[in-house]
Amino acid sequence: MPIISPQDRQTLEERFRKELKRKITLKLFTSQLAGQLFVPGRECATCPQTQQILEELTSLSPMLELETVDFYSQGQAARESGVERIPAIVVTRGEDASVKYYGMPSGYEFVTIIESAIKLSKPRTSLSADTRKKLQLVDQDVHIQVFVTPT
Amino acid sequence: MMAMENDRVKADVVEVQEFPQIAQKYRVMGVPKTVINETTQFIGAVPEETFIDKVLEAIGKAEAAPDSEDAAPSKSI
Repeated sequence: MPIISPQDRQTLEERFRKELKRKITLKLFTSQLAGQLFVPGRECATCPQTQQILEELTSLSPMLELETVDFYSQGQAARESGVERIPAIVVTRGEDASVKYYGMPSGYEFVTIIESAIKLSKPRTSLSADTRKKLQLVDQDVHIQVFVTPT
Repeated sequence: MMAMENDRVKADVVEVQEFPQIAQKYRVMGVPKTVINETTQFIGAVPEETFIDKVLEAIGKAEAAPDSEDAAPSKSI
């Protein structure tokens, strides 16, 4: 049974058609065994559902691509993307920018994924000139972590 | 959006109910909680200007802003 309702599908299809300016990849780091085989220490209760949501979401636009990576058998890829736990979703437009999301994107967090994809597809962000200027001062690594709960 | 404008900035969103050990590590008592470089932190949504100032504070490029644990209404978890 689909997770995204027909009405939401329609709304999203239209938004993506209008607003997605370039190809965006959603890299899902998951466990291929989740839901099939129980391996102690490698449980991932929300991995199958996260995969389903992303499969449905990426089917709504040719500009959205889903890439599935097995966290355990493709550890190198996970390390390269800096993924530490699963499920993880890396929303990216290529080498230069990405946003990482840990956990199943349900409720409002689903919107976060959609907005990240749309914002990444645009050539410029909506940040103010002042913020951009200050951002240029950042010449060392900054790691921002935002902790949220599903709503 | 800051991560989109500067490659040195990495942004993660962590759903704490799925990763309680992480919530515990960072003592997440309310959401949204933001931690920058393990040193600077605040709870609640803040305006863009405050956010960038916190980023600069985390890398030692701004005068320390007053602690704003209660920057904006946040919800308890």
